[in-house]
Amino acid sequence: MAKTPNLPPIIASWFAARTWSPRRHQLDVLASYQSGASQLLIAPTGAGKTLAGFLPTLADLVDGRFDGLHTLYISPLKALAVDVQRNLSTPIAEMGLPIRVEARTGDTSAAKRARQRVKPPQVLLTTPEQLALLISHPHAELMFGSLRRVVLDELHALVTSKRGDLLALGLARLAALAPDMRITALSATVARPDLLADWIARPLPSRNTELLRMQGGAPPELAILETEQRLPWAGHSAAYARPELYDIIKRHKTTLLFVNTRSQAEMLFQGLWDINEDMLPIALHHGSLSVEQRRKVEAAMASGKLKAVVCTSTLDLGIDWGDVDLVVQVGAPKGSSRMLQRIGRANHRLDDPSKALLVPSNRFEVLECEAAVEAVAEGHQDSEDPQPGGYDVLAQHVLGMACAEPFHADDLYAEITRAWPYRDLPRAQFDRVLDFVATGGYALRAYERYARLRRTPEGKWRIAHPQVAQQYRLNIGTIVEEPMVRVRLVRSRSEKQGRTTGPIGAGGRVLGEMEEYFFGTLSIGDTFAFGGEIVAFEGMKDNEAFVSRAYAKDPKIPSYYGGKFPLSTYLAERVRRIMDSPADWSRLPDQVADWLRLQRDFSVLPRRDSLLVETFPRGTHNYLVCYPFEGRLAHQTLGMLLTRRLERMRARPLGFVASEYALAIWGLGDLSALIRTDRLSLDELFSQDMLGDDLEAWLDESALMKRTFRNCAIIAGLIERRHPGKEKTGRQITMSSDLIYDVLYQHEPDHILIQATRHDAARGLLDIERLGHMLARIRSHIVHKPLTQISPLAVPVMLDIGKEPIFGEGRESAMADAAEELLKEAVGEH
Amino acid sequence: MNNAALADPIPDTPVLRFASHNFEPLPSGALFWRARQTLLVADLHFEKMASFARRGQMLPPYDTAMTLTRLEADLRRTGATTLLSLGDTFHRVDASSLLTNSDRMRLDAIVDAVDCIWLSGNHDPLPHAIGGTCLPELELDGLLFAHEPAKGRNGLISGHLHPAARVAINGRSTRRPCFVHDNRLMILPAYGSSTGAINILSPAFFGLFHLPALEVTMLGRDRLYPVPVKRLVGG
Repeated sequence: MAKTPNLPPIIASWFAARTWSPRRHQLDVLASYQSGASQLLIAPTGAGKTLAGFLPTLADLVDGRFDGLHTLYISPLKALAVDVQRNLSTPIAEMGLPIRVEARTGDTSAAKRARQRVKPPQVLLTTPEQLALLISHPHAELMFGSLRRVVLDELHALVTSKRGDLLALGLARLAALAPDMRITALSATVARPDLLADWIARPLPSRNTELLRMQGGAPPELAILETEQRLPWAGHSAAYARPELYDIIKRHKTTLLFVNTRSQAEMLFQGLWDINEDMLPIALHHGSLSVEQRRKVEAAMASGKLKAVVCTSTLDLGIDWGDVDLVVQVGAPKGSSRMLQRIGRANHRLDDPSKALLVPSNRFEVLECEAAVEAVAEGHQDSEDPQPGGYDVLAQHVLGMACAEPFHADDLYAEITRAWPYRDLPRAQFDRVLDFVATGGYALRAYERYARLRRTPEGKWRIAHPQVAQQYRLNIGTIVEEPMVRVRLVRSRSEKQGRTTGPIGAGGRVLGEMEEYFFGTLSIGDTFAFGGEIVAFEGMKDNEAFVSRAYAKDPKIPSYYGGKFPLSTYLAERVRRIMDSPADWSRLPDQVADWLRLQRDFSVLPRRDSLLVETFPRGTHNYLVCYPFEGRLAHQTLGMLLTRRLERMRARPLGFVASEYALAIWGLGDLSALIRTDRLSLDELFSQDMLGDDLEAWLDESALMKRTFRNCAIIAGLIERRHPGKEKTGRQITMSSDLIYDVLYQHEPDHILIQATRHDAARGLLDIERLGHMLARIRSHIVHKPLTQISPLAVPVMLDIGKEPIFGEGRESAMADAAEELLKEAVGEH
Repeated sequence: MNNAALADPIPDTPVLRFASHNFEPLPSGALFWRARQTLLVADLHFEKMASFARRGQMLPPYDTAMTLTRLEADLRRTGATTLLSLGDTFHRVDASSLLTNSDRMRLDAIVDAVDCIWLSGNHDPLPHAIGGTCLPELELDGLLFAHEPAKGRNGLISGHLHPAARVAINGRSTRRPCFVHDNRLMILPAYGSSTGAINILSPAFFGLFHLPALEVTMLGRDRLYPVPVKRLVGG
């Protein structure tokens, strides 16, 4: 870049006094800003991004003549806002600049928040939700009219979520309130930086945006653990690697161990402590632990007191801690961009390479790790692209804008289409969302008299009464928590005298929180891992689950519900390629290469562009195993749809289990014979039309669809959030979202919220989109291999049977089994 | 046997023997009393979702129509000549005035076709402005029908509590509304499309039943499941 920035002398001499000089990318941002442009800066973590983001602000404000809000900083984490405030305060104090910097989060006191609106600081650090709140206040232009800069931190993490939609809408409003504002966005490396640059440019009148990249930095050193141990066929615990991992932790200063799920974190943490003879300070960090516990771990980490932390995605983002010299990924890496970002958590000194180690927990994961190492070496990015915005978020925003001031629909529509995720929003859809906000948007126009929005005489939309604004402010944001219950440790009932059946004693330490639905699957006495120990379920009371110490070696109930992140399409493609290229197997561990050779000799290998389907008998059942490599969620959906079809084809399916790589279905019918005699056609079975009627029939009752609907309905404001302390209000007040879904799906399947739910489900819990692509890819490319017994490649997924939740047996199977038991009792078989 | 349609029990339907009377529970949550040709339902909660709309929550206005559809089907299927609703027919006292025209016409058609007895409930303590007979409670053939359950009165059939059971077996569990009785007190599941349900192991049910005699029948999609009490869990 040729432009020379104007760096005020007071700042230049501050650098000089420390014998520092501003980095190239910091000056590039300053020059770009001073030329009147907005910027997207792509840079790894720890590259002095905070200063890059704020140097233009400091330069603007050195003379102390600016009054009002100058810079708004928005990050996905409130911890980052607080951390940036600290990092900025030092240089500001040392330069003696008259700049007020304040954070505004959910924790900020009401008095301070009110003051911030009337007399804002020059620099305000906050989150997308707080921005939504601020612009929903009448007279928001008084606060934001002076705004010159918006700094967006970790933008890559925001744009693929609904928080990104909310932020984009907020920026479109901000740009209308402050036409002079420019945006500086900071992002990790992504697959499509051009899309991100467009994302920030759209709301701005000039759209003048530059894409800046920070060059340099040593390439990361990434390796797969070379183990002496036997690699497991299946499972996710990586227990075999614990002694080797322990030695590695000992040899490094500080190690971050990433896993994909909370229960994996629990198991690994426990496993490491079992062999922790040196009493190394090894800590645990995941989303179910209480906030205080997490803060304690973070503080200990920041002050260098920990040797290792076992963590989940809760530490993917966040404040920098400089002393991490090794990142370990235990279990599948899932995607190369995700892996690169996790690696970036190590060694924030830019010119030394970050070191990372991959630890596959089973043989399939070896292939995935190998694919990830190749992809990272090539610097290939497979991050998700930003997507069209959700109607639920839009509904929330429309209501917020009505709370701010009455609007003309035409004007608001024009503003909203300047937000990137809504740039292609058809006017008709906008009108439906508006109708939803006003009266529920039902074809049966039953609620005109209760309208939340009404028209003014001049045709503007306004809120019907002030309570609407109050309700809106309680419901703001797009993060919907699963209903959680507190997990409290109590004494075991069996410890007490005479196995009491009375109520469980109250009191006891709170271990943390866990999703309510998990406890729905437990019987009293079942054991599971939580908070670093094995506990036994003792019962539920109100919003608390009671557990006792179990002193068991292994938990009975594996609470492994898969990670949130499916295997990326890109890595899946690479895994298929590795399998299909025996010449490259020499790079794999011998155990894995031998396994693939066995598969080649015994059955056939899955090819890159076809789908291998094996059928074989085993015990009293017949099995169908296929290998789509499309991730667990897409496989679950496929399993649901296939079992429905097999039932219709009279193959009498009983159940299925889905892994990241394969799907196994079992039943009573002899599948090999049915296919041989043409009574069952695999091409028909796997034909794309399953995404028609079969999908519809299933969506009608799908629990995953209902969970997705609940999120949309809460975000859109149809049902109220459960607020802490208010949730026990009884059945008259809260309305089950499942019931609402049933009623709405049956009567108005085209309702805007069902549309929003389908859209989310297609990419989320049901992953229908990916399934559709897979079915198209393999059409008339199905390779059927009838076998007399299980194939080597089928072993891992077959081992998952009984460990993973089983689907497809019909949701009534538990009742049917219980009813049968009662019948047996009645006729005296017990 | 002639007249088979009326004499035979509904196929796949267990018979609930309660206080020396036979009842046939339906998967919809209704209870058919063949001896009296009476269909019993509890807690219809008509216009519940519309009641939420008054407070700004625009829930779908279709719950009443769905409940009516099931009620019409059950009346047709059983050939019942009397409909006995055990209270909380409407979600609010004035809710009958909220009915859409089409729902109102369907409800009127039911009132015209069969004898309707509407017992009062805590949600609708006052008589409604629709046809049929509104009563606080009803005694018939040694049985007492009332909205709220109580201990100590033999042969009481009631609603109010919206009972559900969760059964856990072989690592799976299912929660569904249920019929529950101990041969002295029977509580029907809530029938309305918009009604939630409470686990019968929760405090709301404490002390109501004589536990050793408890019988629980859960509602499936197309059939009913009598389940052993020892398999029930909370939640």
